[in-house]
Amino acid sequence: MPKHLLKFAGTALALILAAGTASAAEKKLTIGVADALTGGGAVYGLPQANAVKMAAEEINAAGGIKAGADTYKLDVIAYDDKANPTEATNAVRKLIDRDGVKYILGFCCSGSTSAVASFIGNEKAVMLVGNAAERSITTKKIPNLVRTRPPADYTGAAAGTFIARKGQKRIAVLGALDVGFYAQYVDSVEREIKKVGGEIIAREVFSLKDRDMSPQLTKIRGLNPDAILVVGYVEPAAFVYRQAVELGMNIPRYGFTSGSEEQFLRVTTSEQMEGVWDLRPTELTLESASKNGVAYHANYTKKYNASPSPSSPYAYDQVYALKAAIETVGKAEDTDAVAKALRTIPVPAQVVMQYQPVDGKMFDANGQGYTSNGAFQWQKGKWVFVEELPSDSKAYSQFLSTLQ
Amino acid sequence: MTGIPTRILWVFALLVLAALPQVLSVKYYLHLSILALIWVVVAQGQNLIQGFTGYVSIVQAGFMGIGAYSSTLIGLHFHWPLWATIAIAPLITALFALATGYPSLRVKGHYFAIVTLAFNLIIVIVLVNYSELTRGEAGISNIPKPWSGDREAYYYFALTLAAALTLLAAMTARSRVGEIMLAIRQNEDLVAAVGIAAWKYKLFAFVISAMYAGLGGALYAHFQGFINPEIFGVAQSLDAILAVILGGSGTIAGPAIGAFLVVFLPELLRFADGFRLILYGLILVLATIFMPIGIVGIAKSVAARFTPREARHG
Amino acid sequence: MLIEILQQTINGLAIGGVYVLIALGLTTVFGILGIAHFAHGSISMSGGYLTYFLVTGQGLPVLAAIPIALAVGVLLGLLVEMLAYRPVRHANHINAFIVALGLTMMVEGLNLQLFGHEQVVIPTGLGRIIRLGGITMPELRLYVILAAIVLVAAMMIFVERTKTGQAIRAVAENRDAAILMGVNVQMIPLIVFGMSTALGVAAGIMVGALFAIAPGIGEGLVVKGFAVLILGGLGSFPGAILGGTVLGITESIAAGFISSAYKDVIAFVVMILVLLIRPQGLLGRAP
Repeated sequence: MPKHLLKFAGTALALILAAGTASAAEKKLTIGVADALTGGGAVYGLPQANAVKMAAEEINAAGGIKAGADTYKLDVIAYDDKANPTEATNAVRKLIDRDGVKYILGFCCSGSTSAVASFIGNEKAVMLVGNAAERSITTKKIPNLVRTRPPADYTGAAAGTFIARKGQKRIAVLGALDVGFYAQYVDSVEREIKKVGGEIIAREVFSLKDRDMSPQLTKIRGLNPDAILVVGYVEPAAFVYRQAVELGMNIPRYGFTSGSEEQFLRVTTSEQMEGVWDLRPTELTLESASKNGVAYHANYTKKYNASPSPSSPYAYDQVYALKAAIETVGKAEDTDAVAKALRTIPVPAQVVMQYQPVDGKMFDANGQGYTSNGAFQWQKGKWVFVEELPSDSKAYSQFLSTLQ
Repeated sequence: MTGIPTRILWVFALLVLAALPQVLSVKYYLHLSILALIWVVVAQGQNLIQGFTGYVSIVQAGFMGIGAYSSTLIGLHFHWPLWATIAIAPLITALFALATGYPSLRVKGHYFAIVTLAFNLIIVIVLVNYSELTRGEAGISNIPKPWSGDREAYYYFALTLAAALTLLAAMTARSRVGEIMLAIRQNEDLVAAVGIAAWKYKLFAFVISAMYAGLGGALYAHFQGFINPEIFGVAQSLDAILAVILGGSGTIAGPAIGAFLVVFLPELLRFADGFRLILYGLILVLATIFMPIGIVGIAKSVAARFTPREARHG
Repeated sequence: MLIEILQQTINGLAIGGVYVLIALGLTTVFGILGIAHFAHGSISMSGGYLTYFLVTGQGLPVLAAIPIALAVGVLLGLLVEMLAYRPVRHANHINAFIVALGLTMMVEGLNLQLFGHEQVVIPTGLGRIIRLGGITMPELRLYVILAAIVLVAAMMIFVERTKTGQAIRAVAENRDAAILMGVNVQMIPLIVFGMSTALGVAAGIMVGALFAIAPGIGEGLVVKGFAVLILGGLGSFPGAILGGTVLGITESIAAGFISSAYKDVIAFVVMILVLLIRPQGLLGRAP
């Protein structure tokens, strides 16, 4: 055969072989994100969506997900649910019915997440929940749902143990107690402090729009508590801390609010905040973060020109958990198998949050993951990580299994 | 416009809607259409008190909530069959409407609107705080769905109810009661001067519109399978007002068209929420100033232009 | 016990002052022009947002920012009157209300686009606490109460003693007679809206300094403002003053002694009770 023809045949053969292996090996896996991209919930939802996209790009750059003989590159579709239950149902229906998506991540906010959780059990899909704190999301034994963020009363039990050790006996509570998970946090604190003879002497309420807590605080002041516990969203809660000082109250203040320094300093002075405790999931805190956490913070900031929210890694970790589950099963289409696998995998090496595995697994039989809790204190204008809160994931997991 | 072409239009619209599930290949749009049909029921109710009687009520979503929670809780605690709970929801809502309507209708227009808005706020606050009964802010999941959640069946169910209730609204409009309601809108003092007890008709309109909303709420609950207080707030009541204004206040087709617009527009216009609020507000302001007749009104005047002169004046 | 009641009363006076200002703004427009100016709350918040922006974003001292915000707010109020309410003045009153609703949505949307979702607090640097016996009060609260009293007094003097004020009252009593008497009725809506918006913006600045401005707070205030109107009596200035003060103190005492969960409901329950028992309100004219 003439030389140029040989070359031609050789190149053609190489091309055919290359094309052949490529079409057999590399596929696209579209995953969906349903989250609050606009509106009041966007402060939680948008960073989660960003985190999922970033994780997907990292995985693709590192070669994709290897399921059996195939390699999957991830493609992300994100829909805005505006933290509204009706919109969330629409968004997930669109992902499943119109876009053919099987894996749905994100879910920052309880109302919208509960709406989707109520029907996802009937779908050929897997739902991975992030920041949404409503406990009943993982008590309904939904086999194709997992959540990276622990319920609030898991943190509450740890906080209660911490407060009990501090010695105050008569605690007054002021919080968004109309919200289920905040009330559950307080209940679990109460269980712990009762063990050492403490009690909760008042449960006062503020609503999300409330900014004048002086009536509630005046009532609490009259009861002479040893300490006050504030649970709720940072925007109203900051006023509690300030107005307590304005009313002349000089007792220890514990809280479960989260919130950055900037958010508090809009409302209070640093002196008014001095000594306040925040007993909450550690989430992404640079002082105590793992190597992954530090890298995540740097990469996210570079990519999106803003710091990641402390809870955004709940969604980042979802992607790596999903990857591990799919690789365990070896098939990306079998959602039942992937859902089962999620409850067997150990904590993947790439996650950012610090998990407390139950029996060596990232998610327990309820599909619930457990991340560490920490005691933070406001010291001279900054939140300082003081110590880890004593948490027992196995005990809580058993407790959770008994609930309906 | 003569009566015959209108009836043909209605039949045509009904046939198109009936054929929709067979034609739609993407089930997602069926899901949205069911929501739209539920909103047709709610908007027709809003139209009865707002479009016909001339009283803007800002509590329609609150009444939806009462219907939704009534049907759900009675099913949950007393184990009534689904049909019974859906049927009783508008009746329970009627009771609430009687209780709230009586003080509200003692005052005129603007005050009435504010008082109804206050009732909507109260309804949401009670739904959130009375958690022993309502499970509070966390909401109620796993609400039973008829036909094991078959969406096509639910679509026809909602379509039947929406059509029947639209027909009922049309019949009411044409009855003596409807004429008095319209008269109240035009000039309430004159109605009273003629010796008619206007407050009875106002209360009737208010209670009927609430019953429509209550049924809509029950339909919503058994379609979505999940309810919580936040979806029955003032923002959703404003959607009901928007649907009526956009479609055509005081017409029969208007609320139906407006309902579909309110459900489908956010799908087409994906804006930041501040911008969407400005747009909706602008539509309300402009529509009220320039186009108090809504889309149906515009369609009618366009159609009139194409009707031959003899037919128009004959 | 007595200390607690006194403290709760003083707690309620500051928010009561805000309610009074909002209600006065509402009753001015409603009583004289017959418009339920639902957008009043949101426009008041715009004034507060603007003050915040001038102080923190532009570095102006608070006392310089306040007049600017007042001026801009008044301009916005006049614009709203001319562009939105005037076209529907002679139409069915329901149209005016829907326009008001639409305006509220637009102003809320504008505030959202310009200032975002997070709450803002106007920094005043006034942080001292005044102590008298067992009662404590931050000085800012005292200034808010004093400012409210001054503004209300100024408004009453304007309406009772000045020619323009008397002209306004004349138009409210009998528009045709006022025209015959030579009153320039075209100017009246502008003056009324200007005055109302000025009061509202002042309230917005107070809310921003003492509490916070965030999406939705304006609507809550305007609904309570209307509750005060119903309580005090439509068109009655003394009624608005009495009603606002009573509502503020009642909320505080009820939250302190009964239940804090239903604090917001009190205003609405009061409103409904008044409608049932005495629809003309405390100081309104009997129907």
